[in-house]
Amino acid sequence: MISTKSLSRRGFLNMGVAAGVGLVLPKTGLLQPAHAAAPLAPVAEENAHIAFGHTGPTSDEGWTWAHDQGMKAVEAAFPKLRTSYVESIPYSADATRIYRQFVADDANMVFATSNYGDFLYDVANRAPNVAFYECDGRSALENLGTYYVSHWYPSYIAGIAAGAMSPSGKLGYVASFPVPSVYSGTNAFLMGARTVNPEATLQAIVINSWFDPQAATQAGTALIDNGCDVLFGIMDEAGYLQVAEERGAKAVMWNTDLRRYGPNAYISSIIVDFKAFYVEQVRRRLAGEWTPTQDLLPFGSGVDVDAWGATVPADVAAKADAVKASIMDGSFNPFLGEIKDSKGNVKVAKGETMTEQELYHWNWSIEGVSGLDT
Amino acid sequence: MNLIRLQRMPIATPRVAFAFRVASVLLALFTTAIALSISGRSPVALGAKVISATFGSSFGLEDLALLFSPLVYCGLSVAVALRIGAWNIGAEGQFNFGAFCATGVALFVQGPTWVILPLMALAGMVGGALWILIPTLARAYADVSELITTLLMNFVAILLVYWVATGPWLDPSGMALATTSRLPVSVPALWGIVHWGPLVGIFLAIALALFVTYTRWGYEVRIAGANPGAARYAGMPVKTQLIGIMLLSGAIAGLGGMMEVAGTVGRLQGGISNNYGYIGIMVAVLARAAPIGVLATAFFMAVLLNGGIVLQSQGLTTHTVLAVTGLILLYAAIGDEMAHYKILHPKVKDI
Repeated sequence: MISTKSLSRRGFLNMGVAAGVGLVLPKTGLLQPAHAAAPLAPVAEENAHIAFGHTGPTSDEGWTWAHDQGMKAVEAAFPKLRTSYVESIPYSADATRIYRQFVADDANMVFATSNYGDFLYDVANRAPNVAFYECDGRSALENLGTYYVSHWYPSYIAGIAAGAMSPSGKLGYVASFPVPSVYSGTNAFLMGARTVNPEATLQAIVINSWFDPQAATQAGTALIDNGCDVLFGIMDEAGYLQVAEERGAKAVMWNTDLRRYGPNAYISSIIVDFKAFYVEQVRRRLAGEWTPTQDLLPFGSGVDVDAWGATVPADVAAKADAVKASIMDGSFNPFLGEIKDSKGNVKVAKGETMTEQELYHWNWSIEGVSGLDT
Repeated sequence: MNLIRLQRMPIATPRVAFAFRVASVLLALFTTAIALSISGRSPVALGAKVISATFGSSFGLEDLALLFSPLVYCGLSVAVALRIGAWNIGAEGQFNFGAFCATGVALFVQGPTWVILPLMALAGMVGGALWILIPTLARAYADVSELITTLLMNFVAILLVYWVATGPWLDPSGMALATTSRLPVSVPALWGIVHWGPLVGIFLAIALALFVTYTRWGYEVRIAGANPGAARYAGMPVKTQLIGIMLLSGAIAGLGGMMEVAGTVGRLQGGISNNYGYIGIMVAVLARAAPIGVLATAFFMAVLLNGGIVLQSQGLTTHTVLAVTGLILLYAAIGDEMAHYKILHPKVKDI
């Protein structure tokens, strides 16, 4: 068995070679290691159908766009296969219907680019010959794998710059839902900021959507009204960056380089890139090598901080870059105890570091983050 | 010369009304087909795909039945209120709150399935009725338009469900995001993955039709809906009827929510209502508030929505699908009005 941490440090491409080895979640036991047993049968490229189910529109210039680029990379690498996608799939029984429709339409491999939980699980469970991948997924089957990005490292790096560029020390966060990726994003961001300003705090507003430009804009406005001067969030579009630009605040974004929507406000972005991952998994599927994996794309290949914005001072950028280098070479891990939760309980003891799986499943706020814990 | 004159008749005969209804649906589909060909797609191929995917496989038929369930409950909910002249725009909220109450029972009451399931159904109905209680009393005693109050209550219920599903009732296993644990009990399956929800909905529609047609109460409700002043003058308890019918309306939507959470989805989570409450308004209006008609229009709407999903997997966006539903409703409204007109050929003497 390979430990999660060492896996994330290697490229994920090695995981395909180490087929049959999946991550084990010791705490829950629900995620089983992928069976070394029979991979799904090979598919001829001209007969293959690869389907993508998205949470937002592919034109969002954010999360869904990045996954759509991945699909285009698959098309370029395997020009003879057929691709299809459905965008803006709601988190309701409609999701089940759409994924079932992919199966009915003879899909060989289905990528759900967001966590659709049981809506996807139930479909995968009844279609054992179709390979399924769930982004940010939590459950596994012999034909259902998961993949995500270890975004907490770039979030921490961006937090360092944010802390240095926030005179008030009040950071704002436009959150989708109180889910682990939001907890890890807010916590890592504030931990980074606190290396510069130990008094920094972070206020989150939950808008119950990944793509709702209007609600994100309102949340961004409310946060700035509350005195926040650097905004972060996990939105699939640029709404709160435009608010920050108008109000003279700063912003850190997600997914893609969005600086043209707020050249003065833009600090950086948590850039994601799924192209290599998708091409490799489709290759494995076609070749008859595919068994499910639980992948976390590591910092530097799949997820990274974007080039710094125009208004980031050189010394701030240099400091953040130095920390980034020390994380990348393994000499520094920011998620080292002691870490307290928002109620003051010690959750990570002094001297202990959080494992990659603990970061992936992070479901509590650190002290200083408000708006998520109930 | 002969002048053709149009005269509006107070009542459209059922045959004419039906003909106009069919014509308007066909016309809407035809308009869609034109729009699709302009955008370079083959409407015939897409139509064939929709029909074969919906009716040609057990997959499609199962999906159809599961879509039918919430639409029947929400449609009946709106239709029942319409019988007494009340617009329940809040089926969405009652659906959510019914699902919420049923989930509460499932998560926190322990017992054998045959006790818990009826209890969940009861909780769903009571929840739905509770959610319309304030708008009902406001309408009955203060003459506050239920149109606005029921609508506003929707947002409260929707956000309440989001909150419990991501907060206090969040699945503690960490294996599911933004949702409660899987409910320990579920509505038993009848066929494939189709549970009792659709069938119970059909029985409910028949029961309501009999109630409206054959009971004194049903008769009085119809009178009170058609002319409250006359009903009051005739000594009918209009206020009591209004309250009873509106609570019944809420209870039906709440039961639909229970069926959705305990039958189709298995967990309570934000967005579970999927706009069924609003689509229910369309279902009821197209059915002219007749319970048996609701069965037909809910089925039609289920085919349409399921067709929408097939179309999406063929590369069309959700907006196209919404536009088609909107078109059909618009054409149906025009057709309904036109069905009232009669062409008169006045006899003119030859000179």
